[in-house]
Amino acid sequence: MSETTDVEAPAAQAAEGAAQILDQRYRPYSGPRRGLAGAMRAVVASSVRFTLGLGRPARHKFLPWLAVVIALVPAVVFVGIATVLDIDLVSEQILPDYHQYYGFIQVALFFFCGIVVPEILVVDRRNGMLPLYLSTPLRRWSYLVSKSMAVAVTLAVITVGPLLFLLVAYTIEGSGPDGPGDWLVVLGQILVAGVAIAATITAASLAISSLTDRRAFAAIGVILLLLGSRLVTGVLVEIAELDARLYAFNLSDIGAALKDRIYGVDPSGAFDGGESSPGDRISELSTMFVLAANAAWVLAGTAVVWWRYRRIEGGK
Amino acid sequence: MSGVTDDIAVIVETSALTQRFGSTVALASLDVQMRPGVTGLVGANGAGKTTLLHALLGLRTPTSGSSTVLGLDPLSQGATLRAKVGFAPERDVLPDEMRAVDFVRHLAQVRGLPRSEARTRASDSLWLVGLGEERTRTLGTMSTGQRQRVKLAQAIASDPQLVLLDEPTSGLDPTQRSEMLNLIGEISNEHSVSVVLSSHLLEEVERVCDHVVALDAGRLVASGPLAELLGDGEGITLELVDVAEPTGSVDLVENTLRGAGVEVQRVGTTLRLGGGDRDELCDRARDAVAEAGARIRRLETRRRTLADLFEATAV
Repeated sequence: MSETTDVEAPAAQAAEGAAQILDQRYRPYSGPRRGLAGAMRAVVASSVRFTLGLGRPARHKFLPWLAVVIALVPAVVFVGIATVLDIDLVSEQILPDYHQYYGFIQVALFFFCGIVVPEILVVDRRNGMLPLYLSTPLRRWSYLVSKSMAVAVTLAVITVGPLLFLLVAYTIEGSGPDGPGDWLVVLGQILVAGVAIAATITAASLAISSLTDRRAFAAIGVILLLLGSRLVTGVLVEIAELDARLYAFNLSDIGAALKDRIYGVDPSGAFDGGESSPGDRISELSTMFVLAANAAWVLAGTAVVWWRYRRIEGGK
Repeated sequence: MSGVTDDIAVIVETSALTQRFGSTVALASLDVQMRPGVTGLVGANGAGKTTLLHALLGLRTPTSGSSTVLGLDPLSQGATLRAKVGFAPERDVLPDEMRAVDFVRHLAQVRGLPRSEARTRASDSLWLVGLGEERTRTLGTMSTGQRQRVKLAQAIASDPQLVLLDEPTSGLDPTQRSEMLNLIGEISNEHSVSVVLSSHLLEEVERVCDHVVALDAGRLVASGPLAELLGDGEGITLELVDVAEPTGSVDLVENTLRGAGVEVQRVGTTLRLGGGDRDELCDRARDAVAEAGARIRRLETRRRTLADLFEATAV
């Protein structure tokens, strides 16, 4: 059995203080092991890095960081304008309030969930890493939870990051919430709305990604579902004048509708809600219905992913 | 052969382990014991080797029967067990864009090592398998032999007590195969890691393994220490030169030996002798050859091989 360190330099040289070659060799390990929690943390960290293209060739960095730029650059521009003009542009309704900024975020979110998120599940199945992961303390459920957490962390960069930047910048600039109480309320709204606006789309994106081993097919499926559900429900409700509850099937906007409830605003307001399809009738839905519709999307997506992964053979 | 400590007498034990896929029986009521050291899991493609390895890892729930690995139940204590076991699947599972050291470090972390320790051990493992200089290369640029070594490195990086290797020499040329087998032997002998090596190449198993579990179509053909299964020897092979004078010298030798009660199988000028002590057979062969005036081209102890074992048990 080898020792931790083998000194290969002659003893005489070592005694004289000469340089030594330390041969670090394969050796036993008797230190702590971090168990399932450590395994999940390792997968989350690795998946976040993978999704953002860190440690990967430049071509893999372009799309995720483009999404981040789309989400963040308007916030930087608005804060710059507010700083230069030195007036309360928010209260003057010249710059967007927090809930209105989601119009920019939603574009980045669609882009991110359609193009980037599918890769997080598809690649492990395609290159055979899944059975290797399942030969570790991870199980299917812990693997999927880890992957979902990685998606959540990554999406937070888009759905929460710009809003937090706006909150801090507006506060410093003097256009922020009045007092610590309001500040905390806005902070809570940003965090909860960030989850709400991302949850349905993420669940749908992961569900579609679980059904195919081709990233391109998954991306096309997600984009078709986002655009198709918006188009079909818009036509049925606004043109055919059917029940507004059909908007529960509108994957693109049902999360944003919940976000509007969280901010307590009328979705027909400026910047995002009012001018965007599917129109005003989504405001006819009760908050409970909107909440239930979002929960249903998340549950359905989770069920599809779980069903699919139970059927995938761990060893093949 | 092995330097593995024997504080666990049996590392793997199965009891009536059965795995069915529809009407196909992949494992047929297997009762197997594997001891510390290098165990060869041998059989043709489709014999059930991979299915057994997956069952031992808890990746599959068996149709019936049970198993323990390192004293743990793979189904109810799977997470604890898999933290102690390294696994290298047959399939090429390496993400092409990842650097070898990052890949090995990541899997060491997933198997429970702290980040800094995982980083150190990833490098150490890659040095051990001969890829120290190549550790920062991306996996997609590596040869098949190097990728097989990376798979071995990730399996041992977390200092497992047991490593399951599924066809680790698949796709390797003879030189690479020999190097890989040497590595496997070194890991077991010098680093006290038990190894279960799945292979369809009998000579590989004979070369490196202490114990053998032989499967055929999901059935257990043989199981036990290699030396015990093959025995010390099984008679001798005597090849003669068919000289012109005296005529029929080979026939004469054969008849003399038969007359002395030796079991003789003749193929051309080669006689396979059995039915007695090896030294005694050598003496009788020498006397018969001298009496007949024949000349010996080759005289050797015939050793039983795993191939003989499979032939003998073939239905």
